[in-house]
Amino acid sequence: MRPLLALAALVLFGSTAAAQHQHGKPGSILEAFTATPAFGPDGALWVVRPNIDRVVVQRSADLGKTFDAPVTVTPDPMNLDWGPDARARIVVDPKGQLVVTFGTFQDKNFNGRAYFARSSDGGASFTKPRPITADTTSQRFEVAGVDPDGRVFAAWLDKRNVAKARAAGKAYDGAALAYAWEDGDADFGNTAIALDNTCECCRLGLAFAGAGRPAVVFRNIFPGSVRDHGVITFRDPATPGPVRRVSVDDWKIEACPHHGPSLAIAPDGSYHVAWFTDGSVRKGLFYARADSGDAPYSQPRPLSAANRQPSRPYLLANGPALHLVWKEFDGDKVAVRWQVSHDSGRQWSAPRTVAETADASDHPLLVADKQRAYLSWLTKNEGYRLIPLGDQP
Amino acid sequence: MRLSLFLALLLGLATVGPAKADPLPFERGSWAKLSAAHAGQPTVIHFWGLTCAPCLVEMPQWAALKKARPDMRLVLVAADPVPQDPERLDATLARFGLDKAESWSFTDRFYERLRYEIDPAWAGELPRTVMIDRDGKATVLPGVADLAQVRQWLDAQSKSH
Repeated sequence: MRPLLALAALVLFGSTAAAQHQHGKPGSILEAFTATPAFGPDGALWVVRPNIDRVVVQRSADLGKTFDAPVTVTPDPMNLDWGPDARARIVVDPKGQLVVTFGTFQDKNFNGRAYFARSSDGGASFTKPRPITADTTSQRFEVAGVDPDGRVFAAWLDKRNVAKARAAGKAYDGAALAYAWEDGDADFGNTAIALDNTCECCRLGLAFAGAGRPAVVFRNIFPGSVRDHGVITFRDPATPGPVRRVSVDDWKIEACPHHGPSLAIAPDGSYHVAWFTDGSVRKGLFYARADSGDAPYSQPRPLSAANRQPSRPYLLANGPALHLVWKEFDGDKVAVRWQVSHDSGRQWSAPRTVAETADASDHPLLVADKQRAYLSWLTKNEGYRLIPLGDQP
Repeated sequence: MRLSLFLALLLGLATVGPAKADPLPFERGSWAKLSAAHAGQPTVIHFWGLTCAPCLVEMPQWAALKKARPDMRLVLVAADPVPQDPERLDATLARFGLDKAESWSFTDRFYERLRYEIDPAWAGELPRTVMIDRDGKATVLPGVADLAQVRQWLDAQSKSH
């Protein structure tokens, strides 16, 4: 009788569930849910958001309380990358020019195309989006930043060498870390490959060790398909340095978890990395520091407990203060937990919850103006929030 | 007696009725319902995703196992963090000949909660297989499953019956 009942329950429940299943309309669900901030030199907050098949930018003069009318970056509908670690981004250069980057899908196999658009009139209008690179194979997880001299640098994961290897009948794991610098005010220059065989589906973390010296943290493929993290620091604008491994987590996986790392470089030159792993050595969310780009990383420090699903870490160096946030889940609510360090990441304040939500949410991000650091977080229930963080928790 | 007849009718309906085109929506509370529906029956629950390349590479192995072991109660759950088009999910399973298997898909973007209900320590990695025995004891196979281990487990279940 019991199995019979169970099966009947399934049949009954199945029919009900199928009848309710009307909201999953094709095309209505594959939508990016991100909001990414940047401060302009005048203290205005800029937030870029994908809006179904468009990308819009909004300006706020009052720290996110109210926003001006959205300005469209993409005049025509585009098939935006909705992947869990993809993100439209915005950077503001010292001249107040805005650069927006975003990715699209070219096909159903998740081959992407990375685009950028610029505004030279203070965000009133944007150039028609153009591809960051001429190669059409696939680019994803583009990230841009402004170096201390005001030059815009972009990096992304590029599959051109996968196509080349395949054409030559060779295997090629993952993707390549590609980069380009801005070439004048209007365009990006030639693309170069910094490293082959990186993991292909995780966001990159970007910081600058100095003018012309970007540093990129990424999930690398170490021998044996071990997907642990590495940092590359450029010696000069055209010379990527060696891969410095952040930790040996020994996460052997023939996949990419859509869960990328975060990097900050403090004024004392120290490097700070936070990341997710499910390796055989450790599982969960971790932080480590190094005295410099060439120094070894410290023993990883766990953030939270693995049964709280800690995820999406983000680091920001704001003057001498280092801020670190991540998400975790207690069974009811997702909380953004926050820690601060004032001694180059050696000691950290006790974690404190700075925001919560009880439904879907974007990754927590950190951004700073001239005064202070803020948590920037988009949640389904509360919408966009910019929450000031003190120097002390 | 009446209840049994009613249930038998329902079961009969389920057998002759048309195959469902869509995966069932996996929402908050679905895990408890799914577990209750299979309680007391050894069940293999395989979590996969349309956005998970190794899952798609592995899927023909599951199709072959299901064919070789029709006694296996196999439940497929598409656990993509961004809910996927149910028609594409179903078409993908049809391509592997698995469209007759019980199939669910995450429809809630609050994936933290869905995962938590299944296993608080699951950070969302796919593929993932959970084998639940008659007494409700779960064995988790993270990543691409060793199907020899699944076969062994199935054998052990039928022996202990």
